[in-house]
Amino acid sequence: MRDAFSDAIVAAALADPKVLLLTGDHGYALFDPFRKARPDQYINCGIAEQNMVGVAAGLAKAGFKPIVYGLAAFVPVRVLEQIKLDVCYENLPVILIGDGAGFVYSHLGSSHQSTEDMACTRAIPALTVLSPADRFEMTATMQLALQLNAPVYLRMGKSDRGDVHTGPVTLQPGDMLRVKHGTRHGPRHLALLATGSMVKTALELSAQGLDADVWSVPSIKPLSREQLTTIAQNVDAVVTLEEHSVMGGLGAAVAEALAGIRPLPILRIGVEDRFSAFCGTWDYLLQEHGLDLAAVQQRVVRFVEGLPG
Amino acid sequence: MEPLNDDGSMMNTSPSFNVNSIRRTVLDMAYAGSAVHVGCAFSIVELLAVLYRKHLRLDANNPNAPDRDYMVLSKGHGVMAQYACLQEVGYLDANDIARYFKDGTRLKGLADAHIPGVEVTAGSLGHGLSVGTGLALAAKLNHTDQKCFALVGDGEINEGAIWEAALFAAHFKLDNLIVIVDVNGFQAMGTTDEVMALGNIEAKFAAFGFDAVSIDGHDEAAVDAAYSHATRTPNGRPKAIVATTVKGKGVSFMEHDNRWHYTRLTAETHAAAIAELATDTPSTTPSTTP
Repeated sequence: MRDAFSDAIVAAALADPKVLLLTGDHGYALFDPFRKARPDQYINCGIAEQNMVGVAAGLAKAGFKPIVYGLAAFVPVRVLEQIKLDVCYENLPVILIGDGAGFVYSHLGSSHQSTEDMACTRAIPALTVLSPADRFEMTATMQLALQLNAPVYLRMGKSDRGDVHTGPVTLQPGDMLRVKHGTRHGPRHLALLATGSMVKTALELSAQGLDADVWSVPSIKPLSREQLTTIAQNVDAVVTLEEHSVMGGLGAAVAEALAGIRPLPILRIGVEDRFSAFCGTWDYLLQEHGLDLAAVQQRVVRFVEGLPG
Repeated sequence: MEPLNDDGSMMNTSPSFNVNSIRRTVLDMAYAGSAVHVGCAFSIVELLAVLYRKHLRLDANNPNAPDRDYMVLSKGHGVMAQYACLQEVGYLDANDIARYFKDGTRLKGLADAHIPGVEVTAGSLGHGLSVGTGLALAAKLNHTDQKCFALVGDGEINEGAIWEAALFAAHFKLDNLIVIVDVNGFQAMGTTDEVMALGNIEAKFAAFGFDAVSIDGHDEAAVDAAYSHATRTPNGRPKAIVATTVKGKGVSFMEHDNRWHYTRLTAETHAAAIAELATDTPSTTPSTTP
Protein backbone atom coordinates (compact mmCIF):
# COMPACT_ATOMS: atom_id res chain seq x y z
CA MET A 1 0.00 0.00 0.00
CA ARG A 2 2.83 2.41 0.78
CA ASP A 3 4.52 1.42 -2.46
CA ALA A 4 1.25 2.18 -4.26
CA PHE A 5 1.24 5.61 -2.61
CA SER A 6 4.82 6.25 -3.61
CA ASP A 7 4.13 5.10 -7.16
CA ALA A 8 1.08 7.36 -7.33
CA ILE A 9 2.89 10.51 -6.25
CA VAL A 10 5.87 9.81 -8.50
CA ALA A 11 3.56 9.25 -11.48
CA ALA A 12 1.63 12.41 -10.66
CA ALA A 13 4.81 14.48 -10.42
CA LEU A 14 6.20 13.07 -13.65
CA ALA A 15 2.93 13.78 -15.45
CA ASP A 16 2.49 17.32 -14.14
CA PRO A 17 5.29 19.68 -13.09
CA LYS A 18 2.74 21.62 -11.04
CA VAL A 19 2.43 18.70 -8.62
CA LEU A 20 4.54 19.38 -5.52
CA LEU A 21 5.17 17.18 -2.52
CA LEU A 22 5.34 19.04 0.79
CA THR A 23 6.33 17.22 3.95
CA GLY A 24 6.60 18.33 7.54
CA ASP A 25 9.96 16.56 7.87
CA HIS A 26 8.31 13.15 7.80
CA GLY A 27 8.39 10.32 5.30
CA TYR A 28 12.04 9.32 5.27
CA ALA A 29 12.60 6.42 2.82
CA LEU A 30 9.00 6.60 1.59
CA PHE A 31 9.99 9.60 -0.53
CA ASP A 32 13.27 8.29 -1.93
CA PRO A 33 11.71 7.41 -5.31
CA PHE A 34 9.99 10.81 -5.49
CA ARG A 35 13.14 12.73 -4.58
CA LYS A 36 15.06 10.75 -7.16
CA ALA A 37 12.47 11.28 -9.89
CA ARG A 38 11.55 14.90 -9.23
CA PRO A 39 13.84 16.55 -6.65
CA ASP A 40 12.68 20.02 -7.67
CA GLN A 41 9.09 19.15 -6.84
CA TYR A 42 9.91 18.04 -3.31
CA ILE A 43 9.75 20.60 -0.48
CA ASN A 44 10.60 19.71 3.10
CA CYS A 45 8.79 22.42 5.07
CA GLY A 46 10.40 21.52 8.37
CA ILE A 47 8.60 20.66 11.57
CA ALA A 48 6.06 23.42 11.09
CA GLU A 49 2.76 22.01 9.93
CA GLN A 50 0.68 25.17 10.25
CA ASN A 51 2.99 27.05 7.93
CA MET A 52 3.20 24.05 5.59
CA VAL A 53 -0.55 24.04 4.98
CA GLY A 54 -0.62 27.81 4.55
CA VAL A 55 2.26 27.61 2.08
CA ALA A 56 0.41 24.84 0.23
CA ALA A 57 -2.63 27.12 -0.03
CA GLY A 58 -0.50 29.92 -1.45
CA LEU A 59 1.10 27.57 -3.95
CA ALA A 60 -2.31 26.25 -4.97
CA LYS A 61 -3.66 29.79 -5.43
CA ALA A 62 -0.82 30.36 -7.87
CA GLY A 63 -1.58 27.24 -9.90
CA PHE A 64 0.40 24.48 -8.21
CA LYS A 65 -1.08 21.18 -6.99
CA PRO A 66 0.44 20.48 -3.60
CA ILE A 67 0.34 17.09 -1.92
CA VAL A 68 0.86 17.75 1.78
CA TYR A 69 2.17 14.84 3.79
CA GLY A 70 2.15 14.43 7.54
CA LEU A 71 1.22 11.99 10.23
CA ALA A 72 -2.54 11.93 10.71
CA ALA A 73 -2.13 13.19 14.26
CA PHE A 74 -0.69 16.42 12.80
CA VAL A 75 -2.14 16.59 9.28
CA PRO A 76 -5.09 17.09 9.56
CA VAL A 77 -5.66 17.36 13.31
CA ARG A 78 -3.02 19.92 14.29
CA VAL A 79 -3.72 22.09 11.25
CA LEU A 80 -7.47 21.86 11.07
CA GLU A 81 -7.95 25.62 10.97
CA GLN A 82 -5.47 26.09 8.13
CA ILE A 83 -7.26 23.33 6.21
CA LYS A 84 -10.62 24.96 6.82
CA LEU A 85 -9.71 28.57 6.06
CA ASP A 86 -6.64 28.59 3.85
CA VAL A 87 -7.49 25.55 1.71
CA CYS A 88 -11.17 24.62 1.81
CA TYR A 89 -12.77 28.05 2.00
CA GLU A 90 -11.14 28.79 -1.34
CA ASN A 91 -11.69 25.25 -2.67
CA LEU A 92 -8.01 24.93 -3.53
CA PRO A 93 -6.57 21.74 -5.06
CA VAL A 94 -4.54 20.57 -2.08
CA ILE A 95 -4.29 16.86 -1.24
CA LEU A 96 -3.63 16.25 2.44
CA ILE A 97 -2.14 12.89 3.37
CA GLY A 98 -2.52 11.72 6.96
CA ASP A 99 -0.21 8.75 7.42
CA GLY A 100 -0.17 6.34 10.34
CA ALA A 101 -3.84 6.86 11.11
CA GLY A 102 -5.47 4.82 13.83
CA PHE A 103 -3.10 2.92 16.10
CA VAL A 104 -0.20 2.46 13.66
CA TYR A 105 2.16 4.23 16.04
CA SER A 106 1.06 1.91 18.80
CA HIS A 107 4.24 2.18 20.85
CA LEU A 108 4.44 5.96 20.70
CA GLY A 109 1.29 6.81 22.61
CA SER A 110 -1.57 9.19 22.11
CA SER A 111 0.44 12.01 20.53
CA HIS A 112 0.96 9.90 17.41
CA GLN A 113 -2.26 7.89 17.38
CA SER A 114 -5.13 9.32 15.40
CA THR A 115 -8.70 8.20 15.89
CA GLU A 116 -10.48 11.52 15.41
CA ASP A 117 -9.16 12.71 12.04
CA MET A 118 -12.14 11.62 9.96
CA ALA A 119 -14.57 13.22 12.41
CA CYS A 120 -12.67 16.51 12.20
CA THR A 121 -12.35 16.58 8.45
CA ARG A 122 -15.83 15.35 7.56
CA ALA A 123 -17.34 18.51 9.00
CA ILE A 124 -15.32 20.87 6.81
CA PRO A 125 -17.21 22.01 3.71
CA ALA A 126 -15.64 21.30 0.31
CA LEU A 127 -13.32 18.64 1.71
CA THR A 128 -13.45 15.10 0.30
CA VAL A 129 -12.36 12.41 2.78
CA LEU A 130 -10.83 9.18 1.46
CA SER A 131 -9.70 6.09 3.36
CA PRO A 132 -8.16 3.30 1.25
CA ALA A 133 -7.97 -0.29 2.47
CA ASP A 134 -5.28 -1.81 0.24
CA ARG A 135 -2.85 -1.03 -2.55
CA PHE A 136 -5.56 -1.11 -5.22
CA GLU A 137 -7.70 1.36 -3.32
CA MET A 138 -4.65 3.51 -2.66
CA THR A 139 -4.02 3.79 -6.38
CA ALA A 140 -7.68 4.52 -7.07
CA THR A 141 -8.08 7.07 -4.28
CA MET A 142 -4.94 8.93 -5.36
CA GLN A 143 -6.18 8.98 -8.95
CA LEU A 144 -9.51 10.32 -7.75
CA ALA A 145 -7.87 12.90 -5.51
CA LEU A 146 -5.76 14.21 -8.37
CA GLN A 147 -8.73 14.31 -10.74
CA LEU A 148 -10.96 16.21 -8.32
CA ASN A 149 -8.77 19.31 -8.43
CA ALA A 150 -10.22 20.24 -5.04
CA PRO A 151 -9.38 19.76 -1.36
CA VAL A 152 -8.94 16.13 -0.34
CA TYR A 153 -7.96 14.46 2.91
CA LEU A 154 -6.58 10.96 2.34
CA ARG A 155 -6.25 8.81 5.43
CA MET A 156 -3.47 6.23 5.31
CA GLY A 157 -3.73 3.73 8.15
CA LYS A 158 -2.29 0.29 8.81
CA SER A 159 -0.77 -0.54 5.47
CA ASP A 160 0.41 -4.13 5.66
CA ARG A 161 -2.81 -6.09 6.07
CA GLY A 162 -2.77 -7.35 2.50
CA ASP A 163 -5.20 -7.02 -0.36
CA VAL A 164 -8.96 -6.91 -0.04
CA HIS A 165 -9.47 -6.71 -3.80
CA THR A 166 -8.23 -9.18 -6.39
CA GLY A 167 -7.07 -6.49 -8.80
CA PRO A 168 -7.26 -2.82 -9.70
CA VAL A 169 -10.45 -0.93 -8.88
CA THR A 170 -11.95 2.26 -10.22
CA LEU A 171 -13.52 4.83 -7.98
CA GLN A 172 -15.91 7.73 -8.27
CA PRO A 173 -16.67 10.05 -5.36
CA GLY A 174 -18.94 8.28 -2.90
CA ASP A 175 -18.42 4.78 -4.27
CA MET A 176 -18.57 1.82 -1.94
CA LEU A 177 -16.89 -1.32 -3.23
CA ARG A 178 -18.40 -4.73 -2.53
CA VAL A 179 -15.65 -7.17 -1.63
CA LYS A 180 -17.89 -10.13 -0.76
CA HIS A 181 -21.46 -11.27 -1.47
CA GLY A 182 -23.46 -12.78 1.37
CA THR A 183 -25.55 -15.91 0.85
CA ARG A 184 -28.79 -14.53 2.25
CA HIS A 185 -29.88 -17.87 3.61
CA GLY A 186 -31.56 -16.59 6.76
CA PRO A 187 -33.75 -13.82 8.11
CA ARG A 188 -30.90 -11.80 9.54
CA HIS A 189 -28.93 -10.65 6.57
CA LEU A 190 -26.20 -8.14 7.28
CA ALA A 191 -24.14 -5.59 5.44
CA LEU A 192 -20.68 -5.04 6.86
CA LEU A 193 -19.40 -1.61 5.90
CA ALA A 194 -15.75 -1.18 6.75
CA THR A 195 -12.95 1.20 5.93
CA GLY A 196 -9.15 1.12 5.95
CA SER A 197 -7.55 -1.61 8.00
CA MET A 198 -10.88 -2.97 9.19
CA VAL A 199 -11.99 -4.13 5.73
CA LYS A 200 -9.67 -7.09 6.22
CA THR A 201 -11.26 -7.76 9.59
CA ALA A 202 -14.72 -7.61 8.01
CA LEU A 203 -13.65 -10.18 5.41
CA GLU A 204 -12.21 -12.43 8.12
CA LEU A 205 -15.45 -12.11 10.03
CA SER A 206 -17.55 -13.06 7.04
CA ALA A 207 -15.31 -16.06 6.37
CA GLN A 208 -16.35 -17.47 9.71
CA GLY A 209 -19.88 -18.24 8.67
CA LEU A 210 -21.50 -14.85 8.98
CA ASP A 211 -24.14 -14.21 6.32
CA ALA A 212 -23.14 -10.76 5.19
CA ASP A 213 -22.29 -8.63 2.22
CA VAL A 214 -18.96 -6.95 2.85
CA TRP A 215 -18.34 -3.49 1.50
CA SER A 216 -15.19 -1.46 1.56
CA VAL A 217 -15.83 2.26 1.98
CA PRO A 218 -12.86 4.20 0.62
CA SER A 219 -14.90 7.39 0.20
CA ILE A 220 -16.02 8.52 3.64
CA LYS A 221 -17.22 11.84 2.30
CA PRO A 222 -19.13 11.89 0.11
CA LEU A 223 -20.96 8.63 0.71
CA SER A 224 -23.14 7.38 -2.10
CA ARG A 225 -26.74 7.86 -1.02
CA GLU A 226 -27.88 5.69 -3.92
CA GLN A 227 -25.71 2.78 -2.90
CA LEU A 228 -26.70 3.12 0.74
CA THR A 229 -30.35 3.10 -0.28
CA THR A 230 -29.86 -0.10 -2.26
CA ILE A 231 -27.94 -1.73 0.56
CA ALA A 232 -30.56 -0.74 3.11
CA GLN A 233 -33.32 -2.28 1.00
CA ASN A 234 -31.53 -5.63 0.91
CA VAL A 235 -30.37 -6.15 4.48
CA ASP A 236 -31.87 -6.39 7.94
CA ALA A 237 -29.07 -4.63 9.76
CA VAL A 238 -25.78 -2.88 9.21
CA VAL A 239 -22.43 -3.21 10.97
CA THR A 240 -19.74 -0.59 10.48
CA LEU A 241 -16.09 -1.18 11.29
CA GLU A 242 -13.30 1.37 11.50
CA GLU A 243 -10.04 2.03 13.29
CA HIS A 244 -11.35 5.42 14.33
CA SER A 245 -13.68 6.83 16.94
CA VAL A 246 -17.28 5.68 16.69
CA MET A 247 -18.07 9.39 16.79
CA GLY A 248 -17.85 11.22 13.53
CA GLY A 249 -16.28 8.59 11.31
CA LEU A 250 -17.67 5.91 9.01
CA GLY A 251 -20.20 4.58 11.52
CA ALA A 252 -21.52 8.03 12.21
CA ALA A 253 -21.69 8.90 8.53
CA VAL A 254 -23.61 5.72 7.73
CA ALA A 255 -25.98 6.21 10.67
CA GLU A 256 -26.63 9.82 9.69
CA ALA A 257 -27.39 8.84 6.12
CA LEU A 258 -29.50 5.79 6.90
CA ALA A 259 -31.58 7.76 9.40
CA GLY A 260 -32.92 9.65 6.42
CA ILE A 261 -33.22 6.65 4.10
CA ARG A 262 -34.39 3.58 5.98
CA PRO A 263 -33.66 3.42 9.68
CA LEU A 264 -32.08 0.05 10.42
CA PRO A 265 -30.36 -1.45 13.45
CA ILE A 266 -26.72 -0.36 13.18
CA LEU A 267 -23.81 -1.70 15.18
CA ARG A 268 -20.96 0.79 15.05
CA ILE A 269 -17.66 -0.91 15.82
CA GLY A 270 -14.75 1.44 16.34
CA VAL A 271 -12.84 3.19 19.07
CA GLU A 272 -15.04 4.14 21.97
CA ASP A 273 -14.73 7.59 23.55
CA ARG A 274 -11.31 7.02 25.10
CA PHE A 275 -7.55 7.18 24.58
CA SER A 276 -5.25 4.16 24.57
CA ALA A 277 -4.24 3.29 28.11
CA PHE A 278 -1.25 1.07 27.39
CA CYS A 279 1.76 0.60 25.17
CA GLY A 280 2.12 -2.40 22.87
CA THR A 281 1.93 -3.70 19.34
CA TRP A 282 -0.79 -2.69 16.92
CA ASP A 283 -2.45 -6.06 17.52
CA TYR A 284 -2.28 -5.47 21.26
CA LEU A 285 -3.91 -2.05 21.01
CA LEU A 286 -6.66 -3.44 18.83
CA GLN A 287 -7.38 -5.91 21.61
CA GLU A 288 -7.33 -3.12 24.18
CA HIS A 289 -9.97 -1.31 22.17
CA GLY A 290 -12.02 -4.40 21.38
CA LEU A 291 -11.21 -4.27 17.69
CA ASP A 292 -9.45 -7.62 17.32
CA LEU A 293 -11.25 -10.31 15.35
CA ALA A 294 -12.41 -12.32 18.37
CA ALA A 295 -13.89 -9.30 20.13
CA VAL A 296 -15.53 -8.00 16.98
CA GLN A 297 -16.99 -11.42 16.24
CA GLN A 298 -18.44 -11.64 19.74
CA ARG A 299 -20.11 -8.26 19.42
CA VAL A 300 -21.53 -9.00 16.00
CA VAL A 301 -22.93 -12.38 17.11
CA ARG A 302 -24.60 -10.74 20.09
CA PHE A 303 -25.96 -7.99 17.85
CA VAL A 304 -27.38 -10.50 15.37
CA GLU A 305 -28.98 -12.51 18.15
CA GLY A 306 -30.72 -9.39 19.33
CA LEU A 307 -32.22 -8.61 15.96
CA PRO A 308 -35.89 -9.33 15.40
CA GLY A 309 -36.02 -12.63 13.60
CA MET B 1 -3.94 45.85 -18.73
CA GLU B 2 -3.03 49.30 -17.52
CA PRO B 3 0.11 51.03 -18.72
CA LEU B 4 3.34 50.24 -16.99
CA ASN B 5 4.97 52.85 -14.84
CA ASP B 6 8.61 53.65 -15.21
CA ASP B 7 9.42 51.49 -12.21
CA GLY B 8 7.74 48.53 -13.82
CA SER B 9 4.61 48.67 -11.70
CA MET B 10 1.23 48.79 -13.35
CA MET B 11 -1.48 50.94 -11.93
CA ASN B 12 -4.68 52.44 -13.14
CA THR B 13 -4.28 56.12 -13.69
CA SER B 14 -7.02 57.86 -11.77
CA PRO B 15 -6.83 56.86 -8.12
CA SER B 16 -4.91 59.05 -5.70
CA PHE B 17 -5.16 56.88 -2.62
CA ASN B 18 -5.23 60.03 -0.55
CA VAL B 19 -4.92 59.06 3.07
CA ASN B 20 -7.60 61.42 4.39
CA SER B 21 -9.99 60.22 1.73
CA ILE B 22 -9.27 56.60 2.68
CA ARG B 23 -9.92 57.40 6.33
CA ARG B 24 -13.19 59.13 5.47
CA THR B 25 -14.27 56.04 3.55
CA VAL B 26 -13.41 53.90 6.56
CA LEU B 27 -15.44 56.18 8.81
CA ASP B 28 -18.40 56.07 6.46
CA MET B 29 -18.26 52.28 6.29
CA ALA B 30 -17.89 51.87 10.02
CA TYR B 31 -20.75 54.25 10.68
CA ALA B 32 -23.01 52.68 8.06
CA GLY B 33 -22.34 49.20 9.35
CA SER B 34 -21.97 50.01 13.03
CA ALA B 35 -18.63 48.26 12.67
CA VAL B 36 -15.66 48.10 15.03
CA HIS B 37 -11.89 48.02 14.30
CA VAL B 38 -11.68 51.68 13.19
CA GLY B 39 -8.43 52.24 15.08
CA CYS B 40 -6.93 49.07 13.58
CA ALA B 41 -7.71 50.28 10.07
CA PHE B 42 -6.39 53.79 10.67
CA SER B 43 -2.91 52.65 11.68
CA ILE B 44 -2.28 51.03 8.29
CA VAL B 45 -3.69 53.70 5.96
CA GLU B 46 -0.37 55.16 4.80
CA LEU B 47 1.16 51.68 4.52
CA LEU B 48 -1.62 50.60 2.18
CA ALA B 49 -2.03 53.90 0.33
CA VAL B 50 1.59 54.05 -0.78
CA LEU B 51 1.51 50.38 -1.71
CA TYR B 52 -1.58 50.69 -3.90
CA ARG B 53 -0.56 54.05 -5.29
CA LYS B 54 2.87 53.06 -6.47
CA HIS B 55 4.19 49.61 -5.72
CA LEU B 56 1.59 46.94 -6.45
CA ARG B 57 1.31 45.60 -9.97
CA LEU B 58 -2.39 45.03 -10.41
CA ASP B 59 -4.77 44.70 -13.32
CA ALA B 60 -7.70 47.03 -12.73
CA ASN B 61 -9.86 44.77 -14.86
CA ASN B 62 -8.86 41.43 -13.37
CA PRO B 63 -8.16 40.98 -9.66
CA ASN B 64 -6.93 37.45 -10.40
CA ALA B 65 -4.48 38.39 -13.13
CA PRO B 66 -1.85 35.64 -13.04
CA ASP B 67 1.05 38.10 -13.08
CA ARG B 68 -0.24 40.33 -10.30
CA ASP B 69 1.66 41.24 -7.19
CA TYR B 70 0.08 39.90 -4.04
CA MET B 71 -1.16 42.05 -1.19
CA VAL B 72 -1.91 39.82 1.78
CA LEU B 73 -3.63 41.53 4.69
CA SER B 74 -2.68 39.06 7.37
CA LYS B 75 -4.03 41.39 10.04
CA GLY B 76 -7.48 40.90 8.63
CA HIS B 77 -9.23 43.19 11.12
CA GLY B 78 -7.78 46.23 9.37
CA VAL B 79 -9.71 45.34 6.25
CA MET B 80 -11.80 48.52 6.02
CA ALA B 81 -8.66 50.42 5.00
CA GLN B 82 -8.07 47.84 2.27
CA TYR B 83 -11.69 48.04 1.11
CA ALA B 84 -11.26 51.80 0.69
CA CYS B 85 -8.19 51.19 -1.47
CA LEU B 86 -9.92 48.45 -3.46
CA GLN B 87 -12.74 50.82 -4.25
CA GLU B 88 -10.20 53.18 -5.77
CA VAL B 89 -8.60 50.34 -7.70
CA GLY B 90 -12.06 49.54 -9.05
CA TYR B 91 -12.57 46.09 -7.58
CA LEU B 92 -15.29 47.35 -5.21
CA ASP B 93 -17.97 49.91 -5.92
CA ALA B 94 -19.67 52.68 -3.95
CA ASN B 95 -22.58 50.41 -3.19
CA ASP B 96 -20.27 47.94 -1.45
CA ILE B 97 -19.04 50.74 0.76
CA ALA B 98 -22.40 52.38 1.43
CA ARG B 99 -24.13 49.11 2.31
CA TYR B 100 -21.39 47.75 4.57
CA PHE B 101 -22.71 45.06 6.94
CA LYS B 102 -26.21 45.16 5.45
CA ASP B 103 -27.95 41.78 5.16
CA GLY B 104 -26.92 39.88 2.07
CA THR B 105 -23.88 42.03 1.23
CA ARG B 106 -20.46 40.59 0.49
CA LEU B 107 -17.97 42.64 2.51
CA LYS B 108 -17.29 41.12 5.89
CA GLY B 109 -15.68 42.59 8.95
CA LEU B 110 -12.47 40.63 8.45
CA ALA B 111 -10.37 39.95 5.35
CA ASP B 112 -12.05 37.33 3.18
CA ALA B 113 -10.52 35.75 0.11
CA HIS B 114 -13.84 35.69 -1.73
CA ILE B 115 -13.62 39.47 -2.13
CA PRO B 116 -11.89 40.69 -5.30
CA GLY B 117 -8.44 41.94 -4.38
CA VAL B 118 -8.35 40.24 -0.99
CA GLU B 119 -5.93 37.35 -1.24
CA VAL B 120 -6.34 35.58 2.08
CA THR B 121 -9.04 34.90 4.64
CA ALA B 122 -7.32 36.35 7.63
CA GLY B 123 -9.68 36.98 10.49
CA SER B 124 -7.89 34.25 12.36
CA LEU B 125 -4.43 35.66 12.95
CA GLY B 126 -1.20 34.04 11.84
CA HIS B 127 -2.60 32.59 8.60
CA GLY B 128 -1.86 35.24 6.02
CA LEU B 129 1.91 35.27 6.23
CA SER B 130 2.12 31.53 5.54
CA VAL B 131 -0.18 31.77 2.53
CA GLY B 132 1.78 34.80 1.35
CA THR B 133 4.97 32.82 1.76
CA GLY B 134 3.46 30.15 -0.47
CA LEU B 135 2.57 32.80 -3.05
CA ALA B 136 6.10 34.16 -2.95
CA LEU B 137 7.51 30.65 -3.34
CA ALA B 138 5.19 30.04 -6.30
CA ALA B 139 6.58 33.13 -8.02
CA LYS B 140 10.10 31.83 -7.48
CA LEU B 141 9.21 28.38 -8.81
CA ASN B 142 7.58 30.00 -11.83
CA HIS B 143 10.57 32.32 -12.36
CA THR B 144 8.37 35.42 -12.39
CA ASP B 145 9.15 38.82 -10.90
CA GLN B 146 5.98 38.87 -8.78
CA LYS B 147 6.24 40.23 -5.27
CA CYS B 148 4.19 39.43 -2.21
CA PHE B 149 3.53 42.06 0.43
CA ALA B 150 2.17 40.66 3.68
CA LEU B 151 0.94 43.10 6.29
CA VAL B 152 0.89 41.68 9.82
CA GLY B 153 -0.08 43.32 13.08
CA ASP B 154 2.26 43.59 16.04
CA GLY B 155 -0.23 41.74 18.21
CA GLU B 156 -0.54 39.14 15.47
CA ILE B 157 3.10 38.18 15.74
CA ASN B 158 2.24 36.54 19.07
CA GLU B 159 1.14 33.68 16.81
CA GLY B 160 3.72 30.93 16.41
CA ALA B 161 2.81 30.36 12.77
CA ILE B 162 4.28 33.79 11.94
CA TRP B 163 7.68 32.58 13.02
CA GLU B 164 7.28 29.27 11.21
CA ALA B 165 6.68 31.31 8.07
CA ALA B 166 9.66 33.56 8.84
CA LEU B 167 11.98 30.55 9.13
CA PHE B 168 10.61 29.14 5.89
CA ALA B 169 10.91 32.39 3.94
CA ALA B 170 14.55 32.83 4.92
CA HIS B 171 15.42 29.19 4.27
CA PHE B 172 13.90 29.27 0.79
CA LYS B 173 15.47 32.68 0.05
CA LEU B 174 12.19 34.43 -0.71
CA ASP B 175 13.52 37.91 -1.36
CA ASN B 176 10.25 38.71 -3.12
CA LEU B 177 8.40 38.49 0.20
CA ILE B 178 8.01 41.82 1.98
CA VAL B 179 6.59 41.54 5.48
CA ILE B 180 5.19 44.81 6.81
CA VAL B 181 4.68 44.89 10.56
CA ASP B 182 2.13 47.42 11.78
CA VAL B 183 3.54 48.33 15.17
CA ASN B 184 0.70 50.36 16.63
CA GLY B 185 1.61 49.15 20.08
CA PHE B 186 -1.79 47.75 20.98
CA GLN B 187 -3.56 44.46 20.79
CA ALA B 188 -7.08 43.58 21.78
CA MET B 189 -6.73 43.73 25.54
CA GLY B 190 -4.05 46.34 26.04
CA THR B 191 -0.63 47.49 24.91
CA THR B 192 1.66 44.90 23.43
CA ASP B 193 4.04 45.52 26.32
CA GLU B 194 1.32 44.71 28.82
CA VAL B 195 -0.03 41.64 27.04
CA MET B 196 3.00 39.96 25.47
CA ALA B 197 6.12 42.06 25.21
CA LEU B 198 7.61 41.83 21.74
CA GLY B 199 11.06 43.27 22.35
CA ASN B 200 12.95 44.47 19.33
CA ILE B 201 10.88 43.36 16.36
CA GLU B 202 13.40 44.53 13.79
CA ALA B 203 16.14 42.54 15.52
CA LYS B 204 13.91 39.49 15.70
CA PHE B 205 13.25 39.48 11.97
CA ALA B 206 16.91 40.19 11.28
CA ALA B 207 17.81 37.21 13.45
CA PHE B 208 15.50 35.08 11.34
CA GLY B 209 17.43 36.07 8.22
CA PHE B 210 15.43 39.03 6.95
CA ASP B 211 16.65 42.38 5.72
CA ALA B 212 14.82 44.37 8.37
CA VAL B 213 14.31 48.10 8.65
CA SER B 214 12.28 50.31 10.98
CA ILE B 215 10.34 53.31 9.72
CA ASP B 216 7.60 55.75 10.66
CA GLY B 217 4.56 54.06 9.20
CA HIS B 218 2.72 57.33 8.69
CA ASP B 219 5.52 59.08 6.79
CA GLU B 220 4.55 58.39 3.21
CA ALA B 221 7.98 59.28 1.85
CA ALA B 222 9.65 56.91 4.29
CA VAL B 223 7.17 54.15 3.48
CA ASP B 224 7.73 54.70 -0.23
CA ALA B 225 11.49 54.56 0.18
CA ALA B 226 11.28 51.38 2.25
CA TYR B 227 9.11 49.66 -0.35
CA SER B 228 11.38 50.78 -3.16
CA HIS B 229 14.46 49.47 -1.41
CA ALA B 230 12.78 46.20 -0.44
CA THR B 231 11.60 45.48 -3.94
CA ARG B 232 14.90 46.33 -5.56
CA THR B 233 17.24 44.27 -3.43
CA PRO B 234 17.22 40.76 -4.90
CA ASN B 235 19.76 39.38 -2.48
CA GLY B 236 18.08 36.14 -1.44
CA ARG B 237 16.82 37.55 1.84
CA PRO B 238 13.16 38.23 2.63
CA LYS B 239 12.35 41.75 3.75
CA ALA B 240 10.75 43.06 6.91
CA ILE B 241 9.56 46.64 7.23
CA VAL B 242 8.80 47.37 10.85
CA ALA B 243 6.48 50.35 10.75
CA THR B 244 5.82 52.31 13.90
CA THR B 245 2.25 53.55 13.72
CA VAL B 246 -0.48 55.10 15.83
CA LYS B 247 -3.65 53.18 16.47
CA GLY B 248 -6.50 55.45 15.44
CA LYS B 249 -4.12 57.72 13.48
CA GLY B 250 -5.73 60.80 11.94
CA VAL B 251 -8.51 61.54 14.40
CA SER B 252 -7.46 63.28 17.59
CA PHE B 253 -9.86 61.52 19.91
CA MET B 254 -9.01 58.08 18.51
CA GLU B 255 -5.23 58.23 18.49
CA HIS B 256 -3.54 56.01 21.07
CA ASP B 257 -6.94 55.07 22.49
CA ASN B 258 -7.45 51.32 22.32
CA ARG B 259 -11.20 51.70 22.84
CA TRP B 260 -11.36 52.34 19.08
CA HIS B 261 -10.54 48.69 18.57
CA TYR B 262 -14.11 48.03 19.71
CA THR B 263 -16.05 51.29 19.81
CA ARG B 264 -18.81 51.94 17.32
CA LEU B 265 -19.32 55.38 15.83
CA THR B 266 -22.28 57.54 16.75
CA ALA B 267 -23.63 60.30 14.56
CA GLU B 268 -21.67 62.76 16.67
CA THR B 269 -18.33 60.95 16.68
CA HIS B 270 -18.67 60.17 12.98
CA ALA B 271 -19.28 63.84 12.18
CA ALA B 272 -16.46 65.00 14.44
CA ALA B 273 -14.01 62.54 12.91
CA ILE B 274 -15.01 63.45 9.36
CA ALA B 275 -14.52 67.11 10.21
CA GLU B 276 -10.92 66.45 11.22
CA LEU B 277 -10.26 64.73 7.91
CA ALA B 278 -12.33 67.01 5.71
CA THR B 279 -9.69 67.96 3.19
CA ASP B 280 -7.43 65.67 1.26
CA THR B 281 -3.85 65.88 2.36
CA PRO B 282 -1.26 66.70 -0.24
CA SER B 283 0.50 63.47 -1.03
CA THR B 284 4.14 63.24 -0.13
CA THR B 285 4.82 60.49 -2.62
CA PRO B 286 4.75 61.33 -6.29
CA SER B 287 1.70 60.13 -8.11
CA THR B 288 2.31 57.55 -10.76
CA THR B 289 -0.20 59.21 -13.05
CA PRO B 290 1.59 60.02 -16.30
